[in-house]
Amino acid sequence: MKQKMTQKLRLSAAAKKQPVDRPPCICPGGMMNMMFADIMEQAGCLWPETHNDAKKMAELAYALNQADGFENYGVPFCMTVEAEAMGATVNMGNRLCEPHVVESLLTSCVQIEKIKPLDLQTGRVATVLDAITILKGKNPAVPIIGNLTGPISVAGTLLDMSLLLREFRKFPADAQRYLDIICDNLIVFGKAQIEAGADAICISEPSGTGEILGPQNFANFTVNCLNKILDELNVSVKIVHICGRLKSVYDIIPQIHCDAFSFDAVVPIAEIKKHVTTHAVMGNISTFALGSMQPEKIASLVSGALTQGVDIVAPACGLSTTTPLVNVQTMVDVTRTI
Amino acid sequence: MNNKEESLKSLSECVVEMEDEKIISIAEEYIKAGYPAFDGILYGLVDGMNKAADLYENEEYFIPELLICSDAMYNGLNVLRPYLKKTDFSQKAKVVIGVVEGDTHDIGKNLVKIMLETAGYELIDLGRDVPAGSFVDTVKNTGASVVALATLMSTSTNNMKRVIDLLKEEGLRGNVKVVVGGGPISPAFAKKIGADGYSESAVEAVKLVNSLVDA
Repeated sequence: MKQKMTQKLRLSAAAKKQPVDRPPCICPGGMMNMMFADIMEQAGCLWPETHNDAKKMAELAYALNQADGFENYGVPFCMTVEAEAMGATVNMGNRLCEPHVVESLLTSCVQIEKIKPLDLQTGRVATVLDAITILKGKNPAVPIIGNLTGPISVAGTLLDMSLLLREFRKFPADAQRYLDIICDNLIVFGKAQIEAGADAICISEPSGTGEILGPQNFANFTVNCLNKILDELNVSVKIVHICGRLKSVYDIIPQIHCDAFSFDAVVPIAEIKKHVTTHAVMGNISTFALGSMQPEKIASLVSGALTQGVDIVAPACGLSTTTPLVNVQTMVDVTRTI
Repeated sequence: MNNKEESLKSLSECVVEMEDEKIISIAEEYIKAGYPAFDGILYGLVDGMNKAADLYENEEYFIPELLICSDAMYNGLNVLRPYLKKTDFSQKAKVVIGVVEGDTHDIGKNLVKIMLETAGYELIDLGRDVPAGSFVDTVKNTGASVVALATLMSTSTNNMKRVIDLLKEEGLRGNVKVVVGGGPISPAFAKKIGADGYSESAVEAVKLVNSLVDA
């Protein structure tokens, strides 16, 4: 297939391991942050105000794609929308610092009555949905990626992660009930993003990883929760990102009901391809390199990833906000010229 | 009552086997039998924690297991510590530890803290989402000789450099060793921002700090 595809068709074909003219080069957004100071200044949409302003949020996502940046729109630009909507207290950060949760809501997973049901009409949940609606009116050839923070990561934010990990072990049934409520809320948000116009949903799980939980908990909690959510989402592209080393869970990853699987820079593409044959593999250009190295180095990293057979080129774990625009443009450019 | 060897073994096993409640009575019996608190900590609790760390290194234990082992260790420590004699501990260096500003993920930091405390260091824990200035003020006020910085968020890595730069501006950089770690951190990054060392795991962090402090 040599005929030029649109960015949207290319992403959905690549995610399904169907023939493409060349791999897409994307960055989903959400936990996999795609925004940096260069582009905020260029677009005149600065953090932190942009996080609360649907128009600016859409404008910033649009500006990056227009600047020969990533081949998608993606919102939001942080991983705190869901936790805030369920009751956690968030510090909105600043120009260079992402919003982050500063106060957990619970002290044990038995306190499920404290969790607020996610309301689609208010706060930043509504902002994200409005931003997707606005982006839907922009270039229809560009895929819109909606984002969900992974269920274990949300659970480990509403309740301090180290307490949650203890309760996984000590009170697994209570932990499961707690996770079910979080999954239900995430399903509501995911469905609403699709209804607003998202062409793809990416769920990023920085905390519920095999490296942190170990293989048994990863399968019992992370994979079960992810699948519960993924099965409810009717959208053409489903992406899951799991942070950290994967050695202990390579054989569990194929059980995740997503199309594309994204992973960290510490995981070799060749290793993943050996174990995950059913899914498109996505990644894993070093976030650190993108933030700090020269464009020539970026070009060689991207070429290397393509040679190893990555299906979708993306930063390994989002971007640092001090990433130079030229590095992102180089990344896209190398993908385009193969 | 068991003999001393068996009691030490029980303390160690309680830590390894995550018996965070049972360990309290075992530690109380140990003290009641008149055995020295110092030995109980070193050959019981710390021995258990070291064994748990080995299991973690071998991927038989993961972070949930390690956290409950450390709960057991601390519960035992709370019983034994009041019985320590003043001469028992020659305190090693003071270490200021925290997660840099912009990030609230602190499991890694807590594990490093546990392992450094186990190794005998005095830890000053600033918690998470810590502004660069707080690290510098704490070094100034406590005379700490090691600063340990952590983050899980790629967006926060630049705040590690801010701590180092600020230490330089305040003329304190020469007095302290700075070590960094966390998911997005690599040895190359550590070198680039001028840190003295990087470690990949909590167990390695102890070896790293030992080597820097002895140097």
